[in-house]
Amino acid sequence: MNAGPPDEQLAGSDEPGDVLQLPIEARATDIALGELEIVYAFIYARVGNRADAEDLTQQVALKAIPRLRQGAPASAIRGYLFATARSVLGGFWSTRLGLSEAELHEDLLLATPQVAPNEERADTVQRILAQLSDNYRRVLELRFLHGYSLKEVAAEMNSTVGAVKVMQLRALRAAAKVEVSE
Amino acid sequence: MNKPENRVDKIVSDLLRGRRLKLRGGDAEEKAAITAAARLIAARQGPLRMNPAFRKRLEQALETAPNEHWLTRRAALVAGFGVAAGAVTGGLLGRAMEPAATTARRVGGEAVNPIPGRWVDVAALADLDEGQGKRVTAGSVGAFLFRRGDSVTAVSSICSHLPCELWWNRGTNVLDCPCHPASFTPDGKSTDPTYPLPALNTIHVRVTDTGRVEVLGTA
Repeated sequence: MNAGPPDEQLAGSDEPGDVLQLPIEARATDIALGELEIVYAFIYARVGNRADAEDLTQQVALKAIPRLRQGAPASAIRGYLFATARSVLGGFWSTRLGLSEAELHEDLLLATPQVAPNEERADTVQRILAQLSDNYRRVLELRFLHGYSLKEVAAEMNSTVGAVKVMQLRALRAAAKVEVSE
Repeated sequence: MNKPENRVDKIVSDLLRGRRLKLRGGDAEEKAAITAAARLIAARQGPLRMNPAFRKRLEQALETAPNEHWLTRRAALVAGFGVAAGAVTGGLLGRAMEPAATTARRVGGEAVNPIPGRWVDVAALADLDEGQGKRVTAGSVGAFLFRRGDSVTAVSSICSHLPCELWWNRGTNVLDCPCHPASFTPDGKSTDPTYPLPALNTIHVRVTDTGRVEVLGTA
């Protein structure tokens, strides 16, 4: 069932197995560290916690950076790092959830961000919530933005804890279907 | 508790508290909802930057080994101490290099067999606090000693995941890795059941008749 961490070749067209050339004037580590900020934000947005995000970012760095060499354009470096990040994230979900490679198709095809860690994060939440029904939006607002407990959400919405839990799950499933550019 | 709404709420509650994703196979069906929750939590926090301490650790690690694979480097470190070679040529060590059976025992992962190995006096038994880790070095081998009564066990001081020096956390009685959120019990086992790491390498240790603790290290 568990296919284990996917092979690097699954990571898309960036061909992680190749050695890239870094610009001569810059040190590989400096360039990579700058790019890793974006990789970190990318990973954090998918795992939602610092500990996992740091572990996975470190895995990306240690997997990809030793293969970088002088001479490649920055875009190629970013593409390479994100190819590795997708592979590492695929391995993360595969290991934690026992998902097969086929089921990880979506993760492995995630687009490579073209910008630095964006300044629109707060807006992203609003844009996601805006596309949900009133009840779904309300439960996610209270829970995620205001940090309410289930009991507090239930009281606020004149509902029960059980009903709020179910609504939260359905709201998250609906939020997962909302497409918002990052 | 196994209803999907309960499982997902547990995961949401953990994430809201800043904890790791604790998942199991049964959660696979709710992956979309779980990732949506992670995304909402990440997004509400605004622009995300690496923690300065983490960035510094990463920087140092990359400076240390810029042109070689990290895990390969660690493997090389361990191999240098003779784990791999020891498996093949361990017999050559002879009985003189075997730990004293009476007072020392092996725990955790594969033992480190330095070649050439040498017993190094590292401490007096009386200097070790019961159940408290003590960092010692025996030549190139770093170890944490743990005393239980008259016996002593030892594990490698290098994390089994990343090649970082562990430190003994007296507050939680575990060995913490400074490079990532991982910790190990005194017998070398990873403490996080949802993200288990390999056990720490064990280190040969013995207590002499005169109450001295010796570790099998290098010259």
